Amino acid sequence: MAILPKIPEYKAEWAEGEEGRWGIAIDMDLCTGCQACVAACSMENNVPFVGEHDAGYGRQMAWIRVERLWEGEYPEVRATPFQPVMCQQCGAAPCEAVCPVFATVHSQAEQINLQVYNRCVGTRYCANNCPYVARVFNWADYSNYPEPLANQFNPDVTVRRRGVMEKCTFCIQRIHKATDQAKAEGREVRDGEVQPACAQACPAEAIVFGRLDDPESRVSKLSKDKRSVKLLEDLGTQPRVTYLKGGYHGNLG
Amino acid sequence: MTEKLSRRDFLKVVGAGAATAAVLTGCGPASRYVTREPYTKMPEYNYNGQSTYFATTCRECAAGCGLVVRTMQGRAIKTEGNPYNPVNLGKTCARGQATLQGLYNPDRVKNPLRNSRGESNPAGERDWTEMSWDAAIGVVAEALKAPAGVQFLLGLAPDHLFDLVSDLCKSLGAPAPIRYGALSMFEARVTLGEAARAVFGRPDTLFFDLANADLVISFGANFLETWISPVAFTRGYARMRKQRARGILIQLEPRLSQTAAKADLWYPIKPGSEGLVAAALGKLYAEEKLGVAPVAFEGVDVTAAAEAAGLEVEALEKLTALLLDADRPLVLPGGAALAHENGLETAKAILALNVLLGNPGKPGGVYHTPVSPLGEEYRRPASLKEMADLVERMNAGQIKTLLVHGVNPVFELPKALGFEAALAKVPTVISFATFPDETAMAAHYIFPDHHGLESWGYQRVTDGTGQSMLSGAQPVVAPFYNTKSTVDVLLAAANLPFKDEVEYLQNQVAALVEQSGGFYSAPDLPSFWALFQQFGGWWKNDPGLGVPGVAGVLEKKLNLKTGEKSASYDEFDLLVYPSPILAEAGANKPWLQETPDPMTTVMWNSWIEINPKTAKKLGLHNDDVVRVVSPYGAVEVSVYEYPAIRPDAVAIPFGQGHTAYGRYAQQRGVNPADLFGPRFNAAGDLAFADVKVRIEKTGKKRELSRLESKLGVYGEGMEEH
Repeated sequence: MAILPKIPEYKAEWAEGEEGRWGIAIDMDLCTGCQACVAACSMENNVPFVGEHDAGYGRQMAWIRVERLWEGEYPEVRATPFQPVMCQQCGAAPCEAVCPVFATVHSQAEQINLQVYNRCVGTRYCANNCPYVARVFNWADYSNYPEPLANQFNPDVTVRRRGVMEKCTFCIQRIHKATDQAKAEGREVRDGEVQPACAQACPAEAIVFGRLDDPESRVSKLSKDKRSVKLLEDLGTQPRVTYLKGGYHGNLG
Repeated sequence: MTEKLSRRDFLKVVGAGAATAAVLTGCGPASRYVTREPYTKMPEYNYNGQSTYFATTCRECAAGCGLVVRTMQGRAIKTEGNPYNPVNLGKTCARGQATLQGLYNPDRVKNPLRNSRGESNPAGERDWTEMSWDAAIGVVAEALKAPAGVQFLLGLAPDHLFDLVSDLCKSLGAPAPIRYGALSMFEARVTLGEAARAVFGRPDTLFFDLANADLVISFGANFLETWISPVAFTRGYARMRKQRARGILIQLEPRLSQTAAKADLWYPIKPGSEGLVAAALGKLYAEEKLGVAPVAFEGVDVTAAAEAAGLEVEALEKLTALLLDADRPLVLPGGAALAHENGLETAKAILALNVLLGNPGKPGGVYHTPVSPLGEEYRRPASLKEMADLVERMNAGQIKTLLVHGVNPVFELPKALGFEAALAKVPTVISFATFPDETAMAAHYIFPDHHGLESWGYQRVTDGTGQSMLSGAQPVVAPFYNTKSTVDVLLAAANLPFKDEVEYLQNQVAALVEQSGGFYSAPDLPSFWALFQQFGGWWKNDPGLGVPGVAGVLEKKLNLKTGEKSASYDEFDLLVYPSPILAEAGANKPWLQETPDPMTTVMWNSWIEINPKTAKKLGLHNDDVVRVVSPYGAVEVSVYEYPAIRPDAVAIPFGQGHTAYGRYAQQRGVNPADLFGPRFNAAGDLAFADVKVRIEKTGKKRELSRLESKLGVYGEGMEEH
């Protein structure tokens, strides 16, 4: 008689209404679509470039993209406010439940959604299940750069190889560095002490990062702003990224 | 040079700061050069796993933003903004972020090179042979022996090299160096400077206090993209929006640019009508507010202006009402608005409108830029007319040696000016390029300078901040290749009395030690120099903005004329704008190539924007290749149906179309400057926005790499066409 493996019972790690620990607020009135966040993120996190052909094939690897849609027809046409979209670090993440190898899991310490590269076997179920299209897959060994381009790689971040899924990590290496530093000094992390690469670069300061569980932090206040919305909130994913709607002057036409 | 220029003679020319130079000898506070050592033998400040940060200046454009570069074991890992630098206050743009891909670019020039085919075959294929730096310095020294035939052509940034070359040329009796960059052409900086001279009595690029304005009307100023100092203006924009009463931005330009996408209102006005619209607004405003229009605006026919712009008169009335409502209105003159034959008058009209609105010298208004701490007068880049004169001198054989640094004129000048052909008439062309760009490839010698992150220097920052400042640069890594600082080459070749670049820089900044009101002060030069490196420059704490003189401005008549009407239906206004991501020199950085254009999301290539209605009329679809023909040239490029552009206009971004410049840049896209003709405005800038083009079908199709509608891991949307 075959002995069936003991399958652990699936237990949700989140609680309804929980705020989460780290979060981002993005003011779409301020975002100018300049792509500084995209470049900064790629430089910090060793995101490779894929070349013209693969990029046109939908395989561009950036962890953050700036969305722009068209509305109306000339001359009453306008571009919707630029909207940077990265992994929303859902409290109830649809990607986590479908990973057969527990490569995408929720971390207890940071309460963000992790991608464990050496567990990932490339089923791409997670990307399929992500409503934000925030995940990108290494279809090839894109990081095999001609020398000496590889010198720029950040030693704090893994260089991923072919067949591995990846996504925004809220720059967890920076979170760790700051929390370690704070711990060594026997204090809490100060608001604004940790900045992911995107928030650090943003010339308009449209991206604000911080502790959601600290009601006094900038990001907590912004995420309760009356302009705040969450992407696809009705799916119940509990995203940790808040968008502040663009403040158009309605009376200007 | 045959006789050594004595130290005293040269210092006389160099001027201020020279007196303290003698004090310097042997006083270097820290090691001058960052060395790359095996990790078993690390300098004490460098621990395993720990980063070292160096403050320097970004050289990707001439804005002079401060960077703090994170390095680890002698490698530069990440560029971050310098939070102290008043221009960018810790922020960067995409180009600044990608600067490491220039440093580590696989196609850099690694050694001094000589074209061994020699002068017998000036225009033909090059055959590069390595040479020693001693021989290279010998070549430059030989050239400087005949100073009358020497011409330096430098980049847009007014940096220490420009100061050294200016002084050198002055002391040798050579023609003054010329500064040029494609961005100065696209921003029509000379026109703006000349308009400021005519209106305010002082030539200047002017400081526009966007942050404190409550209504900004921008005539195509793409200040969120590349205009003058984009990071500073983006911060100003954010502050304008965050005022208690949210500031309003109105953009008037024929195409919805990235900046216009952020505007509350966008009016697609006809190119060339900007000055008339400004004057009409002035007239309506004055009549409403003062009862009578001043001389400057009284001659304008509002109805005719509205018609020329393709607007309803009601639109102008609405803008006037908004101006009347505003407390601190500001009007910006964009580059393309001035790049018409009536460009100088347009610039004057826009500045006069600012005067009428009463904003010069007030918060949210127009100011004169602060005077550089090195006490300099206005030093503008060359106008395109002056570049055309240079080409003429090259053709006439007056230039025996052309030395090019920090600019790629073969790419950055319109082909119609004939620079490339004229280059063949110059007996010796020396390029100091870091990358094998088009100009370097056409030169006889390449004496590669270090990359910006490997170099010393300072840069005068004239825009972007109200504080008088000098941005400082230092090497963050040891030079990767056998390159040499151009300043060191010139010091050695001209036998100048400085041991090396650092001594020259210290001599220059010595004048700052005694200046008061600085961000820091130091008792002596070595301590000052250490702080200068630590903070990445020196600046004054208080703003040093000048109040423009406005007396009599509105009493001068403006002479505005409309641009010519389209000759026939199939002719389109050509709008060329610098790519917000690549600008003039970003094409060799693969990540910038793959960063989607903010409006079209196209990567890695060029495109032409055509209104979908026009495309339908012409029977064109996305990705169809069309031939764009102007009287001066033609390019073939894929169509992008752009919903927010005038139906009688087409737009092509500038930045691609390299024939050299490394593997990531070359043979990719087209250079729309090939379509420009040699027509100038009254200030000598190129009237490139007057160019009209014809669109011809080719029947070919070339798919553009776009991010939009192709998101995700399965390439959805790729079957769309």
